[in-house]
Amino acid sequence: MTSFAVLAVSLADVAGAGSAQLAQLAHSQLSPIGHLAQPGLLEIFTLPFMWRALLTVGVLALAAGVIGLFISFRELEFVSDGLVHSVFPGLVVGAMIGGSAGLLPGAVVAAILAALLFTLIEHRGGVGADAAIAVVLTGLFSLGVVLVSRQEGYVSQLQELLFGRLLTVTQTQLWQIVVVAVVALAIVALTWRAQLFRAFDSAGAEAAGFRLLGADLALGVAVALLVVAGVQALGVLMVIALLTVPMAASRLVTRRFPLLIPIAILLPLATGIAGLWLSFEWSVAGGATVSPGAVVVLLLVGAYLVAALARLAAGALARRRAGAGTTVGNSGASSPTAAPAACAPEAAPHPGDADGSSAPSDGGGSRGAR
Amino acid sequence: MTIDPARSDAASSRGRGIALELGDAAFGYDGTAQVERLTLEVPEGSAVALIGPNGSGKSTLLRGVLGLAELTAGTVRVLGEAPDRARRRIGSLPQADARDASLPLSLRQVVTMGLYRSRGPIRPIGRQGRLAVTAALERVGLGAYAARRFGELSGGQQQRGILARALVSDPELLLLDEPFNGLDRENRDVLLQLVRDLQVEGRTIIVSTHDLEIAQEACTHVLLLASGHHPHQPGHPAAFGSVADALTLDAVQHAFQDTTVELDSHTVTTTRETE
Repeated sequence: MTSFAVLAVSLADVAGAGSAQLAQLAHSQLSPIGHLAQPGLLEIFTLPFMWRALLTVGVLALAAGVIGLFISFRELEFVSDGLVHSVFPGLVVGAMIGGSAGLLPGAVVAAILAALLFTLIEHRGGVGADAAIAVVLTGLFSLGVVLVSRQEGYVSQLQELLFGRLLTVTQTQLWQIVVVAVVALAIVALTWRAQLFRAFDSAGAEAAGFRLLGADLALGVAVALLVVAGVQALGVLMVIALLTVPMAASRLVTRRFPLLIPIAILLPLATGIAGLWLSFEWSVAGGATVSPGAVVVLLLVGAYLVAALARLAAGALARRRAGAGTTVGNSGASSPTAAPAACAPEAAPHPGDADGSSAPSDGGGSRGAR
Repeated sequence: MTIDPARSDAASSRGRGIALELGDAAFGYDGTAQVERLTLEVPEGSAVALIGPNGSGKSTLLRGVLGLAELTAGTVRVLGEAPDRARRRIGSLPQADARDASLPLSLRQVVTMGLYRSRGPIRPIGRQGRLAVTAALERVGLGAYAARRFGELSGGQQQRGILARALVSDPELLLLDEPFNGLDRENRDVLLQLVRDLQVEGRTIIVSTHDLEIAQEACTHVLLLASGHHPHQPGHPAAFGSVADALTLDAVQHAFQDTTVELDSHTVTTTRETE
C-alpha cells in the first residue's frame, strides 16, 4: 500500500512546495535577528512556525507516550494502522466540504466510526477479525484516493495528506491538535485502571466487574483521536510510527513499568527536536528540501534500531556470562515470556531483590523486539 | 499459617446462611445452556470442589455465579443477591490462560488490581489500600516478592499472586477456576493449605478441578458435573453433597464416563483413557 501511495506522488514534489515556501519564510523572519548564516538551535525555535512545530511534536509525544502503552500492551498495532488508513477518506471528505477547516472534523468522524467498527469486529473475534480489518482498511483508503483524485490539483493535496506538513502547522491547527490530544489523554486516564487490568487479565477484569467492550471502545476512540491529532502534522503514511515506535522502543530499553511512559515520551520529543532542526538546516542553509515529518520518523525508527541492537547485545552478554557459570544479572536481556517454572526457586526467596536478579536468563530475548 | 482472630469473629458473625442457591438453574451463552438442572444450596463457610470432565460446564457455572454467563433457566442467588450485585463480595481466580504475563507489571501492581473496582476510576489507592495489598501478599507467603515482575515468578507463585489479588478486597465468596493446573506437587500443596486456611476462617470457596484428591484434602462439599451424552448436550450434576456422600464410585463413574476410576478410603484417582 505504501508503494502504491508513493507512486501516486512524484517524490520530487513531496517536499518541494512546502519547504521552498518555508525557506523563504525562514529567511524573511530570521533577517531581523541578523544571524541568517548560522542560526543557533535556540534561535531556530524562536521562529513562530518552528515554535509551533516544536509544540506540535511535544503534544504528540506526550499523548503517544501514554496511549502507546496500551497499543503495545494490547498488541493493537495492526488495528491502529487500520484506523490511520480509515482516517484518510475522512480527511478527503472533510477537505471537500470545508477546505482545510474541514480536515479535522472529517478526520474525527471517520476515526471514531472506524474505531467503533474495529472494536466490534475484534470482539466478535474468530479467525476472520484481522482479515475483516484488512478489508475495511484497504477499502476506505482506496475510497479516499478515488475521492481525492477527482479533485483539481489533487497531487499536492494528496501529498499533504500522505506526508503531513509539520512545519506549516497553523495556530488554529495547533489548538485543534492540543484539544484532540487532551481529550484522547483524558479518555485513557479515566479508564486507566480498566485498561491495565484488562490488558493483563481479561477474565479477571471481567470477574471484577469491568466491562470489556466499554473499555475497548474507549481505548479505540482514544487511539483514533491520537491518529487525528498526529495525521495533519505527520501525514497518513507516517503517523503510525508515532503510535507504535516510541513504546516499542521503550519496552526494549526498560522492563520497569514506571519508566515506560517517560521514555516513550522523551524519545519522540528528542528525535522530534533533532528532526525539526535537521529539516530546518537542510531547507534553509543547505537549500535542499526534505519532508520534516519523514525526517522525524526516520530518526525515531533509528532510535528504535539502536535500542533493539543494545538489547540484543545485552542479551548476548548475559548468555555469555551465564555460560561462564557466573550469576546472571538480569540486565533486561531475558525474554519477558520467561518460563515461570524455571525461575525464582520458591525455596530461596531474595528479599529486596527487586529486579529479580536470581532469575536465570532463559536465552530468549527475541520477543521484546515485537 | 495463623488465622487472624478478628477474621474468625467476622466469620462466625456471618453465620451459616446460604452462599449460593440454585433452583433448576441453567447457564450458557447466546440462549444455549452449557450446564443445566442445577439445584443446590451451598452453605456459607463451606468449600465446594467442582469436579467434572472438560465440557461439563465447570467454568460456565463459575461465570454464571459472577453473572457473566447467561442464566438460561431457573433461579440463582449469590450471597442473598443477584449475581451481578454480589460481584463486589466475590473474589475470583480465573484460569491462567487469559493472563498476559509478558507485561512488565510487578506483583504488587497485579495485587493492587484487586482494589481497582472498589476505588473507581480515579480515587487513589491510598495508604489503606497499600496496607491491604501488603497484607494479602503476606497472607499467600509472597511478601518478599512484591517488587518482582509477575512474569518471572514461578507458576505456583503466580497462582498465589492472583489469589492475593482476589483476597485484597476481603471477599466472602472465592471462585477458583482450575487453580492447581500445571503446578508441581510442592506448589500444589502450598496452595492447597491456603485454600484450607481460607475455608477455616469462614470464607465460602468454590474450586473447580480435575483432581479428586483436592476435594478430599481441602473441601467440605463436592459438586460432580457430567458432560452431556451427546457433544451438544449441556452438562448436568452427577452428585452434590458432603465429600463422603457425593464422591462415590458410581457418581464419579457417571461423571467421567470414558475413564477408569479407582476409589479407596484414602485416595481417589481418575485415569483418563487416551483419546
